[in-house]
Amino acid sequence: MKLTRLLALSFAFVASVAAAADTGTNPAPRPRDWAAIARLPDWSGVWTPFVSDQDARIQRDPTPWREEVAPQIAAMVAEERAGRPRGLFIDCLPEGMPAWMLITHNAFEVLFTPGRVTLLGEMDGNRIRRIYTDGRGHPPDPDPTFHGHSIGHWEGGTLVVDTIGILPQSWLAVSEAVGLPNNGDMHIVERIHLDGPDRLVDDLEITAPRVLAATWKTSRIYFRQRARKYDIVEGVCLQGGMSSRQDEFGNWIYVPIPQEDGNPLPPK
Amino acid sequence: MKFARLRSWISCAVLAAITGPALAHHSFAMFDFAKTVTITGTVKEFQWTNPHVVLWVNADGAAGEAPVQWSLELTSPGNLTRGGWDRKVLNAGDRVSVDLNPLRNGNHGGALVNVKNETTGKSYSTNLRAYEKPGLQ
Repeated sequence: MKLTRLLALSFAFVASVAAAADTGTNPAPRPRDWAAIARLPDWSGVWTPFVSDQDARIQRDPTPWREEVAPQIAAMVAEERAGRPRGLFIDCLPEGMPAWMLITHNAFEVLFTPGRVTLLGEMDGNRIRRIYTDGRGHPPDPDPTFHGHSIGHWEGGTLVVDTIGILPQSWLAVSEAVGLPNNGDMHIVERIHLDGPDRLVDDLEITAPRVLAATWKTSRIYFRQRARKYDIVEGVCLQGGMSSRQDEFGNWIYVPIPQEDGNPLPPK
Repeated sequence: MKFARLRSWISCAVLAAITGPALAHHSFAMFDFAKTVTITGTVKEFQWTNPHVVLWVNADGAAGEAPVQWSLELTSPGNLTRGGWDRKVLNAGDRVSVDLNPLRNGNHGGALVNVKNETTGKSYSTNLRAYEKPGLQ
């Protein structure tokens, strides 16, 4: 009897997910959809990156660059080591995927709502990733974006995320000065899970056939913070190239900061 | 005294000027983290903006010489807030002592490591690695 009921419920759940996936509409969440969130692992708080481990993994999990692009990387590494880094993100466009997860120095938070997991971070205009967990598939030919189109599902306490539709210009970066545009057709699978009460791990498998000779497997670690001084703040990257001044009418405006040899100078 | 030593170091440095667009979000590899130098001076402006906070200091010159303006970069407001900073900890006119990792090209710029605000008596650090554990207060 119980088994029959369980099977029926399971069928109803799968059917409802399938319906959400197939109808092309986003149904209003039901009380049981909200209740289901309470059974997910606790990812609340703010997550700060393990920056030293990011650096260490450049050596430990070497990126399998294709032979023909490796000289570009070698040149960037040499320039970085010589103190002449060519910053990849000086234009303040989003770090995008997978660079956000790989090299960020900034915090993010994770929100669970029915049918979706959302990552919200600081920097480059308050970065965001929307991961659909309502059972939908990828669109057949999504418009490319910096963060791509992400769908996810839960395997126990692990969120498995599949991302395609990433702009070819989006950097496959191993540091802020070393990396290449993925150049198209990138596919990322992530398994995001807790490996301790306050450590979130993202195991990434990055397939980028234009620049990588094989799928690159690496991981990144983030630490949970609950003190309110860690709450996410606004992070507008372009603001850093501006200085606050008053115009001739007394209005507060931003004006570009003068530069000399690449270094910002204070306004006169 | 300290500044005189610094000037001596600069004179030996290779002056490879960095040119290019606004460094709104750049790699910090332009700074020489193997070297730490100290300057003392007066805050000209403290700009509390993403992605990198900037502190401009008019560093004391040698006897009879004019102050030298330094441009010092820090991490983001969000990261600094977690280290006890806010936008008002440094103000124009404050006397400061700054430890910094200088630009490799010898220009008067660097990545700020520590600053002591002599006016308020308080010190602040920018070490992101200090945040690499959970449950920080």
